[in-house]
Amino acid sequence: MMKPEAVSGSREVTIDAKINGSSVHVIVPSKFTLAELLREKLDLTGTKLGCNRAECGVCTVLLDGTPVFSCTVLAAEVNGRKVETVEGMLQGERLHPLQQAFVKEDALQCGFCTPGLLMTLEALTNKVERPTLQQVKDAIAGNYCRCGAYPNIFKAALEAAQAR
Amino acid sequence: MTQEKMVDREPRLLVEGEAPPKLEREFTIIGKDINRLEGPDKATGAAKYSGDIKLPGMLYAKILRSPHAHARITRLDTSRAEKLPGVRAIISKNNCPGWNTFWYTIPQTAFAEEIGCYGQEVAVVAADTIEIAQQALELIEVDYEVLPAVFDTEEAMKPGAPIVPSIDQVEETVSRAPHARPVGNVFEGKPFVMKRGDIEAGFMEADVTVEGKFTTNFQFHAALQTRSCVASWDGQKLTVYDSSQGIWQVKDDLSRSLKIPIENVRIIDKFMGGGFGSKAGAQRFLHYASRLSMLTARPVRLELTRPEEFLAHPHRQSSKSWIKIGATRDGKFVAIQARIVLNLGIGSTYGAQGDKAIEHSFELYDCPNAYVEQVGVHTNTPLTGYMRSVMRVIGNFPLESLIEELAAKLSMDPAELRLKNYTIYGEQAEKIKYSAKNLDRCIAKVVEASDWKKKREEYARFNAQAEASSNSIRKGIGMSSYIYEGVGLPPFRAKARVTVDGEGRATVYCGMVDIGGGQATMATMLVAEELGLELDDVKVHWGDTDQTEYSPGTHASRMTAEMAPAILQAAYNARKQVFELASKKLGVAASELQSALGKIYLKSRPEIFTTFKQVCREFLLPEGKVVEGKGSRVANPKDVAFKTFGTQVAEIEIDTDTGAVRVVRITSAHELGRALNPKFCISQHYGAITMGLGFAMYENPSIDSKTGIILNPDLHQYRMVSPSEVPEIVPFNIEAEDPYFAYSAKGVGEAPLVPVAAAVRNAIFFATGAKIYSAPMTPDRIIEALEHVEESRKMELSVKQVVV
Repeated sequence: MMKPEAVSGSREVTIDAKINGSSVHVIVPSKFTLAELLREKLDLTGTKLGCNRAECGVCTVLLDGTPVFSCTVLAAEVNGRKVETVEGMLQGERLHPLQQAFVKEDALQCGFCTPGLLMTLEALTNKVERPTLQQVKDAIAGNYCRCGAYPNIFKAALEAAQAR
Repeated sequence: MTQEKMVDREPRLLVEGEAPPKLEREFTIIGKDINRLEGPDKATGAAKYSGDIKLPGMLYAKILRSPHAHARITRLDTSRAEKLPGVRAIISKNNCPGWNTFWYTIPQTAFAEEIGCYGQEVAVVAADTIEIAQQALELIEVDYEVLPAVFDTEEAMKPGAPIVPSIDQVEETVSRAPHARPVGNVFEGKPFVMKRGDIEAGFMEADVTVEGKFTTNFQFHAALQTRSCVASWDGQKLTVYDSSQGIWQVKDDLSRSLKIPIENVRIIDKFMGGGFGSKAGAQRFLHYASRLSMLTARPVRLELTRPEEFLAHPHRQSSKSWIKIGATRDGKFVAIQARIVLNLGIGSTYGAQGDKAIEHSFELYDCPNAYVEQVGVHTNTPLTGYMRSVMRVIGNFPLESLIEELAAKLSMDPAELRLKNYTIYGEQAEKIKYSAKNLDRCIAKVVEASDWKKKREEYARFNAQAEASSNSIRKGIGMSSYIYEGVGLPPFRAKARVTVDGEGRATVYCGMVDIGGGQATMATMLVAEELGLELDDVKVHWGDTDQTEYSPGTHASRMTAEMAPAILQAAYNARKQVFELASKKLGVAASELQSALGKIYLKSRPEIFTTFKQVCREFLLPEGKVVEGKGSRVANPKDVAFKTFGTQVAEIEIDTDTGAVRVVRITSAHELGRALNPKFCISQHYGAITMGLGFAMYENPSIDSKTGIILNPDLHQYRMVSPSEVPEIVPFNIEAEDPYFAYSAKGVGEAPLVPVAAAVRNAIFFATGAKIYSAPMTPDRIIEALEHVEESRKMELSVKQVVV
């Protein structure tokens, strides 16, 4: 972690990071979580909050390509690093294969868990070319879907992996 | 045994005025697996939920909650908190005396002087930042006189038990529901009873009986989005960005509570993160946020934290049941008796009135003698209310468990036993038939798809071998049938409006909320089909009380049953007007026309046609006219019975050394009339079964017996089904015509939850002989039940030895 610069005389820090490919330079309260940085400061509300205590997986984003719970990562920790959120998944005007598969296979219902799931699955499919069903299940073991779309989520994940 | 095959019955849509006649052509859109129209918004993060809304000048609110389960507030001083810089307003019983929140027109005390449960609201603060609001809570001074509390229904029914101050205010009620005050702690002071025949005589006739005492725990909805709103008062109009399941009820209830003319209340709710019943009606937090906005003239965001969400949402009641079934040797039921006691907490938002838990025992099977009673009891635990499948899962678990114990006693196939006691009557005494009932086809489907008969033999053989070879694994298969609604409920109000513009494009205006079931997409599919347009030419305006009229809330699986007929009628009325214009263009009578996929053609000679675009451009566009059709639902008739049905088979593996159960497969068949969008219906099987599995095996709220504090108000200790526990699910939509509903379509969102617990319990019973009487069937309970089987076996052995 690149230690961020404290804003002198205040409890704020300056963060320089790459968010969805764009360089971002912001000042936030030092106690801000990454989720707050994204949602409150940068208006990237695609990332949701479900519990704010690393229990549901809803707030998952990628930090240097690794899925993390943004509710328990301090904003300060992403200084000098790369963050990817669901807003960065669009490929120009086209949906990412995972997003397409989710819509086609009805892997989303209320949609609240969807951004976090997509991030986790993107990390998986970036790392493993043809994941097995068990690998998919293991990867998203920390992402709840209370609507219970799991069977379709598995199907969409495997289908999207094939499409790459 | 099915009702006579209903082929090509003329529709009898329950709408006001002229009902659309039969479509008289094949479907072009209905029955297809159309993608959700809002799917891309959800998948890209573009969808805005109420917690994503930020308004300029927005304040943040926090709720102060009681740390005691039963207490009287003797002093409440908010002055120090009010002085904290950044605090804009505080509401409590001090400045809101006699104020009621409303839930589906049931008034509930907003700030009680006598607190009835841990976590009950005492005061709400609005401040510039959430941190200041939180600090302010700590500066509010409250003195409580702690009172004895009661958490168990049996204790609460004893004479001398502490009286729970229910928050339901019934003197003021204008509700259509016949509520009554609790007497002591018992709702209405007496059980709700349904009876038929002579129960004592019935049991005398029985050759065989089975009975058991069952308990089910509370269940929390644990929707991933905690309830969240932004309420904004501009001096005249109140606008609320909401997360509820029904916006018109919220509009109604807030207007009533805050005394704002109803036309000045607007509720916006296009996307919400899960409800499952907990967000039906106007939740209490909406009232607090709205009132604070009115006091401060600033928008106010109030969002519950995850622990608060556990405390303060109306969750499923817990239950204690006793059920007894008597049958003759051939398996015919002659007597069914049931007593189900429900824990209502401090309020149940619709009381324990009605037959929801005891319905299974009274109605599912043909039985001439039945006596069933349901008792609602208040305790000092939080609010209860609707949760996916409401009380029917409570009534299904004991009944369907005993059915298979009875089948074992009679050496009958449990599927055969169920079919043997099949009834086509919704009201057996009055002989009122169902509009449609195809439960036998559901049973046949799961029997076939799960390979029921072969598996029973195969698993029995496996288990015998395992026993002989000291293998601790056993395999089991069990079934459960159910009865459910999804056919509409009082007040049967649903209004829709369809317009067609000068370009031949339609818009449907519908005041409903899409809670994830695909309701918005369903509306466009219905309109496209009934009008005869391409799906791409139909838009839907939903999730907003502006520009729409009354819609029921999206709960109780009622949207398809109630709103779809209104949408169909609206589309039909619009179509009639367009046909009048087309008839001018083509020079034929309107009655000779048909439409599909944008074309309007002569029924007898389809090569003679025009298009919606051409007709509308010619007759509507020049003067900027628009065609409008309206639709309105009316009540279900009383001389017909309406229900949906289904059956599931669960297959499990159990390790008898550890009690660990793996649910391998659930095969599910649900009778829903018609699957307007089969993919969406399948998704509801998946979702409901997953939640039912949580109810059956894992979800175990823990309430401290001394303080009433919920000990596991978090998603780590309250164990829901995660991707690791999901079994293979094999779902089937069973279709059968039902002329009262739009294209025969009825609800499916909740029903598949109902049978899961009993099916799994029955599979465990098949595998091991273990009888589990409590849900969730946690490992400790399974071990206990297995030990019971061991003990009984040992006793049998020792008896045999003595005899020998």
